[in-house]
Amino acid sequence: MEDIIISTLQRAMVAGTPLLLATTGEIICERSGILNLGVEGVMAIGAVIAFIVTMITGHPWLGVVAAMAAGMAISVIHAFASITLKANQVVSGLALTMLGLGLSGLIGKPYVGKPLLIKMEDLNLPWLSDIPWLGKILFSQGPFFYLAIALALASWFFLEKTRLGIQVRSTGENPKATETQGINVTMVRYLSVIIGGGFSALAGAHLSISYSKSWIEGMTAGRGWIAIALTIFALWNPGRAIWAAFLFGGIFVVQYLLQPLGISPNFLAMLPYIATLFILLLISFKDPKKLNAPAMLGEPYNRGER
Amino acid sequence: MKKWMVLILICSVFFIGFSQTCFATEKKLKAGFIYVGPVGDYGWSHAHDLGRKYAEKKLPWLETVYVESVAEADSARIIDRLIQQQKCDVVFTTSFGYMEDTIAAGTRYPDKIFMHCSGFKRSDNVGTYFGDLYQMYYLNGIMAGALTKTNKIGYVAAFPIPELIRHIDAYALGIKAANPKARLNVKWTYAWYGPDKAKEAAEALISEGCDALAFTEDTPSVVEVGQSHTEKGQQIYTFSHYSPMQPYGVDSVVSGQLMNWGGMYVQILKDIHNKTWTNKDVWWLAKEKAAILGGSKTEIINPKFIKPLKAAMIDTKEFGKISAYELVIKRYGQMKKGVDVFDPFTGPISDNQGNLKIKPGEKASKADLLGIMYYVDNVKGSIPE
Repeated sequence: MEDIIISTLQRAMVAGTPLLLATTGEIICERSGILNLGVEGVMAIGAVIAFIVTMITGHPWLGVVAAMAAGMAISVIHAFASITLKANQVVSGLALTMLGLGLSGLIGKPYVGKPLLIKMEDLNLPWLSDIPWLGKILFSQGPFFYLAIALALASWFFLEKTRLGIQVRSTGENPKATETQGINVTMVRYLSVIIGGGFSALAGAHLSISYSKSWIEGMTAGRGWIAIALTIFALWNPGRAIWAAFLFGGIFVVQYLLQPLGISPNFLAMLPYIATLFILLLISFKDPKKLNAPAMLGEPYNRGER
Repeated sequence: MKKWMVLILICSVFFIGFSQTCFATEKKLKAGFIYVGPVGDYGWSHAHDLGRKYAEKKLPWLETVYVESVAEADSARIIDRLIQQQKCDVVFTTSFGYMEDTIAAGTRYPDKIFMHCSGFKRSDNVGTYFGDLYQMYYLNGIMAGALTKTNKIGYVAAFPIPELIRHIDAYALGIKAANPKARLNVKWTYAWYGPDKAKEAAEALISEGCDALAFTEDTPSVVEVGQSHTEKGQQIYTFSHYSPMQPYGVDSVVSGQLMNWGGMYVQILKDIHNKTWTNKDVWWLAKEKAAILGGSKTEIINPKFIKPLKAAMIDTKEFGKISAYELVIKRYGQMKKGVDVFDPFTGPISDNQGNLKIKPGEKASKADLLGIMYYVDNVKGSIPE
């Protein structure tokens, strides 16, 4: 029994890693007031680029860098449409998802199904990995896991404790007041969208070169959408996103343990998506003022308008 | 009319006539292949594509086209395209889920021939063919049963259809022959190609104490999970599926099942070409060299595990007390001679509800095997609906 619990928690961390990365990115983006529904597409682009570059060069970290660059580049489309052109952010984000999914399928065609022979070794942290229970669950994981935790904590520190972070948050709350402080709202929003895209692409890279070690069209399997829901669930706080993401990672893995109980495996496979609907339902009962959502989320900023 | 226009007209008429006589003298047989997965995968579709390439190389009068990653709901449209646009004379549909669409296409195009892989429905111009690996799963089961330390053995399965139940049961019967105390646990992924799902299912089996895993899924994910646990000091035995996956788990892969479709495709296409084709089911096993034992192309058993397999002694009725290694070699030899010499599904066999399914001394018929939908008595749980 002990083995099952340790193993399940350990796998939950692995399955939650891409969710955490994408959720953190989306939080930064939404905190600046831009809703980005393109996470799923950017994730797919990140996955395919990371896979192709890793396959050709044999260096996974080169793949990761290339994926992040591609994710940032494609996010500029959404930034341009929603910030400069002041277009509807929902439509622009959806377009980014469709573009990303389609484009990744196209460029990844020759690589579909090819297995990757490289390995990303798990890092056993000295001392810490010897702690009973926790050592196995938290301190003998793959590099992406530590990276995701570090980035989430750094993002929390950045948003809550630094001057630049306050600028990002105030841009999302009241861009006009922010601009009177001499801050370039357009610039802050562009950077937030692009950084958010980089995080989503990193999540995709984890899926294709570390988790599945293969590429197939549609392999992101809705994880980008779950990340958007988790952003709300985490109340736009990267610290809360950590446990929210791993909770959902747990739902992804626990389905195989529940199979012997005689529940239909098809139903179990729906669990992460049902849970997503459930938390959105739960959140909608909450007092909207306590939700802490950025006040200007989804609203384009017209400079000089009264 | 300008002179040059007349010239072009004459030229084009000449070319059309010429090209038509060319085709008339060298009529090729054109075969279309529909794959459910990507040809680059490491399993089912890849193996079929190797068979297609082999047949094309062997038969000078053959021309082939293929469409990969065809969803089962899309197959009718793809069959139409292959017949109408590509002018195929024969279409091979290589997934169980294409069955109804293949039968329907048979009535739509009565002058074409269709071959459906792994199904059980036939009509005048629709035949079925299959190369089955259940004998290899039985041999893998003997090895799993001999090697396991925990007496818990696992299987990561894709879909609950007779083909997989047959493989699970054959694996379980092999386990029983070597180790009557061991039990088989099954996890379902509902994906032929789902590396992340197969990985989590394998991890779940290992966390429940299973230390020998076989699977039906088209990536080396389960093998990789076994290898990574083995590297961390927990020996997990795995059995490669369909393609040689030993390079992905050099310390974990004991053996496996390999499939060679090439010979079967050559035979079927020759029959069609010679007009001797009938719609009778083509069913190839170890005897026809379609099913091959091994996790690599060169070794039937990973040398690393030969020693422990030779040390594990098994009591058998037929050969007395012999090692697991010898039993595997002897059974494999018998299987190559044909199912009349030895078949894993020889009674008494009961399901895990206690009902006797095959009487002592009797052998399961081909129809029994094709429709098998019960777990034998050392498999835990029940088949999902």
